[in-house]
Amino acid sequence: MTGAVIGFAGMTHLGLVSGVCAAEKGFRVVCFDPSASRIAALKRRELPVSEPRLDHLVVKNADRLQFTASDDDLSGCAVLYVAPDVATDDAGQSDLGPLTALLERVFAAARRDAVIVVLSQVPPGYTRGNQRDGRSLYYQVETLIFGRAVERALQPERTIVGCADPAQPLPAAYRAFLDAHGCPVLPMRYESAELAKISINMFLVASVSTANTLAELCEAIGADWSEIVPALRLDKRIGQHAYLSPGLGIAGGNLERDLATVIRFADERGTDAGVVRSWLANSRHRRDWALRLLHKHILSKVRDPVLAILGLAYKQDTHSTKNSPSLALLAHLHSFRVRLYDPVVVPAEANHPRAQGAKSELEACDGADALIVMTPWPQFSKLDPREIASRLRGKVVLDPYAVLNNADCRAAGLEYHRLGAEV
Amino acid sequence: MIAHGFAEPRQPARVVLLGSRGFVGAAIARRLITESVNHIGIGSSEVDLSDASAVAKLTGILKPTDAVVMLSALTPDKGRDAATLMKNLAMMQHLCRALETTGCAHLVYFSSDAVYSFASGLVSEDTAPAPQDLYGMMHLARETMARSLPKTAVLILRPTGIYGAGDTHNAYGPNRFRRTAEKEGKIQLFGAGEETRDHIQVDDVAAITARCLMHRSGGTLNLASGRSLPFHRVAEIIAKEFPRAIEIVRAPRANPITHRHYDVTKLMKAFPDIRLTMLDEAR
Repeated sequence: MTGAVIGFAGMTHLGLVSGVCAAEKGFRVVCFDPSASRIAALKRRELPVSEPRLDHLVVKNADRLQFTASDDDLSGCAVLYVAPDVATDDAGQSDLGPLTALLERVFAAARRDAVIVVLSQVPPGYTRGNQRDGRSLYYQVETLIFGRAVERALQPERTIVGCADPAQPLPAAYRAFLDAHGCPVLPMRYESAELAKISINMFLVASVSTANTLAELCEAIGADWSEIVPALRLDKRIGQHAYLSPGLGIAGGNLERDLATVIRFADERGTDAGVVRSWLANSRHRRDWALRLLHKHILSKVRDPVLAILGLAYKQDTHSTKNSPSLALLAHLHSFRVRLYDPVVVPAEANHPRAQGAKSELEACDGADALIVMTPWPQFSKLDPREIASRLRGKVVLDPYAVLNNADCRAAGLEYHRLGAEV
Repeated sequence: MIAHGFAEPRQPARVVLLGSRGFVGAAIARRLITESVNHIGIGSSEVDLSDASAVAKLTGILKPTDAVVMLSALTPDKGRDAATLMKNLAMMQHLCRALETTGCAHLVYFSSDAVYSFASGLVSEDTAPAPQDLYGMMHLARETMARSLPKTAVLILRPTGIYGAGDTHNAYGPNRFRRTAEKEGKIQLFGAGEETRDHIQVDDVAAITARCLMHRSGGTLNLASGRSLPFHRVAEIIAKEFPRAIEIVRAPRANPITHRHYDVTKLMKAFPDIRLTMLDEAR
């Protein structure tokens, strides 16, 4: 077992995954949340989130994990992360109130010499605004990706640390914990670190928005974006890992929050954010790709159609439906019959008046006029298009993320549509 | 986005069509008859909206439970100058003054795609209006006057070029093409007719308007088919409607080539089962 005790306050997605992964690195970990019921559920190993390997690591590291709702248990921590998920509203604005309240609580409960680290994403200026005389406060950029949270927490590419004074060395206990992850540590001033996180997301949005813009053009002129992508990846200036897969706009909420933050700061300080507004507009436009095609091929032609929709989560390997393109689509289909299937999300989350849950993908297809694959769960790629064709009443398949094989679907007689190819 | 005041359609107490004898007004009146909607039509011969006396006349006619559809406007073929602008604004001013007295349950204002510029080839309701002439500016000002009415559900409809039987205008597009094809056996294009435009059939405009009236919809909605075609393609489609050969001729282009497409997603969201007539399907 490794030296210092590490604390994590806020047992939602970020805090829970980070705490469990710290235990996996060999540290004793105190997982604190003010909610006694949430802690009780965690003690029963009922996790509020779905992430690959997370359940396994909780069991594996049970001896090093202490779940508690008692502030007193924080006093033994040398390093204390404050890591609740920060809620955003429909406009991408963060509600920082709960984070600040938890930070206050941690300041009060922690030892005077404890290192307190804000891990939740905050806008520039937040950390310095919450600095206290004589206390050691840092901001660390979180790297959580829904569906890859464990992998990212265990093997970060680098750690970005916001400091009151980056010229000063990091406290030993904090440095030792960071070094256990075997990646470069980049100390910088608070504001730079806070903006660094946003900067990373801005570049991802720029790539995705460019891909989405060109994918739509491909659909209009008979090109195929999937043929272009390999050429782009071989360009060193773009790279193998660039975000080039087209999607249904920007989903999930975190990227939208950063876009809203940049626009707000730019407007306040008089810098240009026109391109950011364009990304948002493009995201809204592309989100409705499935609705437009559905209208063109089904809704304007078939009376009282039945629609089979696979996937409700906002992306694969997650339970989260926040800003889910699937739910956004369903919100505009209330007058139609829909059959829903998702491996994790229950149909009731769709809040659709004519929805019927299905026990399997193929059951959802039974007698439907169209199949729409709205979340790219890997298991959907194992579906046999011939079976889909035999179950459907119609022939239209909308598969934005190309989970199914284009050629196999067409060979099965299906009218197959995906992002980035002629529709 | 438009929001429906009534999730399920309801018959309006009464619809008052201002400009009921025009091309669009007549189509809406026909549709309202089909839908058994109680309505009255008022043309310029009954009430001259440009005259101040219209305020008193309208106050005597309108009821607080009415749905009012404002179609009256002096179109560009009647003048593009400042005097026409002021006359159009006076018409709306007189209507608004009357409505300030009587109130109404629902005001549907027929604006125009002229409120948009050609800076972007794709237009949606989110596109910022930037009128390029006095006609577009007039509609934008009248939209603002309509929205300023207190306690009134206001719907702004911005149609693209409307085509169909009975058109009284002679704007460049399907109606003029059909007219000249019939009379002269030819269709004249500017340049090679490369510009793309969206055209919506008048009966579709009437059907959407009727649905908006029955849902008491508020907000702003573009009226377009969602499929834009170059003018040369429009000319070919029109030419095929005639049994004799129609000559398509080119005239020197006066203006640079511009394109306009409509993202009609908000129309689909408002009425997911809507079926629109595409120009190449129309008869």
